[in-house]
Amino acid sequence: MTDTADNIIVTIDVEKYYNNGALHALKTVNTTVKRGEVVVIVGPSGSGKSTLLRTLNQLETIESGTIIVDGVDMYDRSTNINKLRENVGMVFQGFNLFPHKTALENVMLAPLKVAKRPLAEVTEHARELMYKVGLADRMENYPSQLSGGQMQRVAIARALAMRPDIMLFDEPTSALDPEMVGEVLDVMKSLAAEGMTMVVVTHEMGFAREVADRVLFMEEGALLVDASPDVFFDTPPHARLKQFLSKIL
Amino acid sequence: MHAKQKTWLWNAVFIGIVFALSYSVYFASQKIEYNWRWERVVPYIINTDAQEITAPGDGTVEIDERNHQLTLVVDGETTPFVVKEYTELQVSDGDLIFEGDTLATLEQWQIGPLIDGLIVTIEISIYSLVIALVLGLVIGLMRISANPMLRNMAILYIEVIRGTPLLVQIFIMYFFIGTVMDLERFTAGVIALSVFTGAYVAEIIRSGIQSIPVGQMEAARSLGMSYPKAMTFIILPQAFKRTLPPMAGQFINLIKDSSLVSVISITDLTKAGREVVSGSFAPFEVWFTVALLYRVLTSTLSWAIQRLEKRLSASD
Ligand SMILES: Nc1ncnc2c1ncn2[C@@H]1O[C@H](COP(=O)(O)OP(=O)(O)OP(=O)(O)O)[C@@H](O)[C@H]1O
Ligand SMILES: [Mg+2]
Repeated sequence: MTDTADNIIVTIDVEKYYNNGALHALKTVNTTVKRGEVVVIVGPSGSGKSTLLRTLNQLETIESGTIIVDGVDMYDRSTNINKLRENVGMVFQGFNLFPHKTALENVMLAPLKVAKRPLAEVTEHARELMYKVGLADRMENYPSQLSGGQMQRVAIARALAMRPDIMLFDEPTSALDPEMVGEVLDVMKSLAAEGMTMVVVTHEMGFAREVADRVLFMEEGALLVDASPDVFFDTPPHARLKQFLSKIL
Repeated sequence: MHAKQKTWLWNAVFIGIVFALSYSVYFASQKIEYNWRWERVVPYIINTDAQEITAPGDGTVEIDERNHQLTLVVDGETTPFVVKEYTELQVSDGDLIFEGDTLATLEQWQIGPLIDGLIVTIEISIYSLVIALVLGLVIGLMRISANPMLRNMAILYIEVIRGTPLLVQIFIMYFFIGTVMDLERFTAGVIALSVFTGAYVAEIIRSGIQSIPVGQMEAARSLGMSYPKAMTFIILPQAFKRTLPPMAGQFINLIKDSSLVSVISITDLTKAGREVVSGSFAPFEVWFTVALLYRVLTSTLSWAIQRLEKRLSASD
């Protein structure tokens, strides 16, 4: 169990390898996320940011260590991973909307088929969410008829439809044209303001500075820095981070 | 303008060649002094001749004009032979009848043996198509399973079936498995065709599933869907759409391959054709007709699948 009930995500000594052990993708990662916290992960390409994020809903399995989500040990044999995932929404860089479903159907599918909530309730909630992400007039469109920014906002609504306590974002704006980045970040900011627990991998340093409670820096699978945005950006506590920031800022 | 003229020219050449080919068929048949008698095929498709109703045994006729009923009291039998549907009587009340005598005629259109065969071909094709689809889906899913036992079973099945001729499989199914398990010809034929087509369908479904980006499965799983749910609601509907064109080809092959079951004496369209040839003395006409009927079946199927494709393209 966790030391404080407030820690909604706890990772203890997480190790992850790829290619039959040839690639050490996560090196003894220890961190916690408090309920309602916004944690941003940054780092160079290939440093293991996506890998870490994806272990938090077991899209990637780990070789050793412990991950506790909302008090549940993810690798306990009795843990129902599907049940756990209902509580952890995920937004992908490539949107991954279901192309054969309309925007509204994308949002409604999991609540209907997984949570088995009644249709009327699901429809109303889905409409609310589409309204919330600013796409009230796009509900009947198929993904192919939407812009990148609109697709990503539908994807956020789809993840929120399961009423998760945690939201994971893996570079949600990296595949977008610059003029569409803002609309997606705005939705994420409003989510953060509502107190959603969020773990966000992004290159948007402005977002990290403005919204994050803590910023993590990863390099070569290791978590090198864990600091508040002010400290992270103004007085970087690690030489590698200083180097990284000088390159991207 | 110039390009358009050329198109016209080539179309004209095409039509010319088709005419030349048709003429050469005609010319060839002239050469062997073949008389084309298409009218001979017609009764084998639809028989419009009046049928004769004959007596099943010796006996006496009773006719009830009011109720439009003919009763033949057959000697030595307790139940009389009753005819209710006829057009014209050939006997009168009280006549003494011998076995085989014509009692009455009935003018009613009757489907001929070629259409009977066509119906059998359609039945075989539909049963085989449905079973092959289910079988192919199961094997296709096993083929991409993480479990090596399931995967290897699927590979073994696909390799064995695709590596041996269908005709041999039909013989094995009928003469060996059919005998052991006491299968009827029709059942044996349907199973052989289903097992054969299922192997190809499995490969089509596997490649269809693998053509769906992994992000789709990840998105579905991240929403809490189990693997079967993600397959059912997300992956398979998309894969299904993509597999329609190769699936159409496979099912057209199935219809054509079904002609091979005639070797185990199932009276399908091909077998019916063979029987009709010997009765009609018009082999060319009969085989051309059989080919045309197959062609009607296959083009109906591809038309139906094209319509389905159009319907499913709403989200593109
Ligand atoms: N499925 C996989 N199989 C093998 N190696 C992988 C796999 N996924 C990631 N890796 C490797 O693991 C390392 C970490 O990858 P990861 O995707 O987590 O990096 P990242 O920090 O998200 O990078 P980026 O900013 O480019 O998205 C990289 O070296 C990558 O090549
Ligand atoms: Mg990444």
